[in-house]
Amino acid sequence: MKLSTQMVVVLTSVGLLSGSFLAIVGHLTKERIALNKQRETEKAIIQVVPGIVSSQKLYEERDLSVYGGKDAEGNIVGFAIQASGIGFQDKITLMLGTNTSLKKINRLAILDQKETPGLGAKIADSEFFLLYWENKDSSGTITLHKPAVSSPEELLPTEVNTITGATISSEAVLSIVNTSLEQVRKIIKEGKLSSEAQDVN
Amino acid sequence: MSTKSIGQEFTKGLWDENPVFRQLLGLCPTLAVTNAVINGLAMGMATSFVLIFSSLVVSSIKKFIPSQVRIASYVVIIATFVTVADRFLAAFFPPISKSLGPYVPLIVVNCIILGRQEAFSSKNTVGRSLIDALGMSSGFVLAMLILSAIREILGMGTFLGYQVMGQWFEPWIIMILPPGAFITLGILLALALQIERKTKSRK
Repeated sequence: MKLSTQMVVVLTSVGLLSGSFLAIVGHLTKERIALNKQRETEKAIIQVVPGIVSSQKLYEERDLSVYGGKDAEGNIVGFAIQASGIGFQDKITLMLGTNTSLKKINRLAILDQKETPGLGAKIADSEFFLLYWENKDSSGTITLHKPAVSSPEELLPTEVNTITGATISSEAVLSIVNTSLEQVRKIIKEGKLSSEAQDVN
Repeated sequence: MSTKSIGQEFTKGLWDENPVFRQLLGLCPTLAVTNAVINGLAMGMATSFVLIFSSLVVSSIKKFIPSQVRIASYVVIIATFVTVADRFLAAFFPPISKSLGPYVPLIVVNCIILGRQEAFSSKNTVGRSLIDALGMSSGFVLAMLILSAIREILGMGTFLGYQVMGQWFEPWIIMILPPGAFITLGILLALALQIERKTKSRK
């Protein structure tokens, strides 16, 4: 065989074999990966909207999804807002639980983040950060309390805590929350949420 | 062709030719993911998987690959196994997959793997390549383990997430940040060199 032909044949077959092998692996793992992701989202929704038994997606756009949390009778008792934005290193994706008027934040959960380990990554830590987000008044803009405090009682209802050494990550989370609340308010005003949610507003 | 005994073929990866401490290869993941023992171990395992299987495939098809396209072929083979490792972690160990982030796909360009294919598997039998890959993998896992243990214990006071330091201990945050990786690796390299020198002069 001529060298040039051999080169083409070898590279093509290596590529084809690898490709088919990967197609099989991808097919075998696809469902499980999607399931993991879905499970994670469901878990986060139930975590941030207390007292619900099921949830339903009401709205979706790039970097913003709104889920309605339903109680046992099927009434929507709160919203779970999944939003993303730029953090210190990479995108942060979070889940925010609010009541139906968007005036109270129940809880916050971080779904995905690649902040600095040991510093910014503490945004996903309940004891250091998320605890300070529970039951906040979100009728206006939420602000950051600097310097950091050591117990949630020291904060105003519209304030959340900073992580010492990770101000940028703390601010990034705050800005994602404030922006997404603003966006959802606009969406509700324009009547774009799924019809089922309309009557609760 | 290598003329070492089978035992030597394996143990050279642990010390004499340890990929991290002696050859200074694969330093990007070594520095980046050793902030916690679980991350270091998972990275070590994923790299080992890719190295072992790439070595097996490359050594068994080395006769068919023209030398002009060998690097391209190796990279395709390595990338295949890296993608398998990445998908596997995402499907069965989602938390680990998350914490390793982009470093799993980056195993493709880990020079330990490409280096072993070029320096060893492309010239030796399948059996020897397997032993060599096992030795190098163990050496890499060992290095990741030492580095991540030092960094996690000093940086967070924990080992594999369990508290090992007492209440008095104030974590050195810098150890789990990039500078901590460089400092630890530098000290370990100096130590390795010192031990090497001592054992050589004794001979």
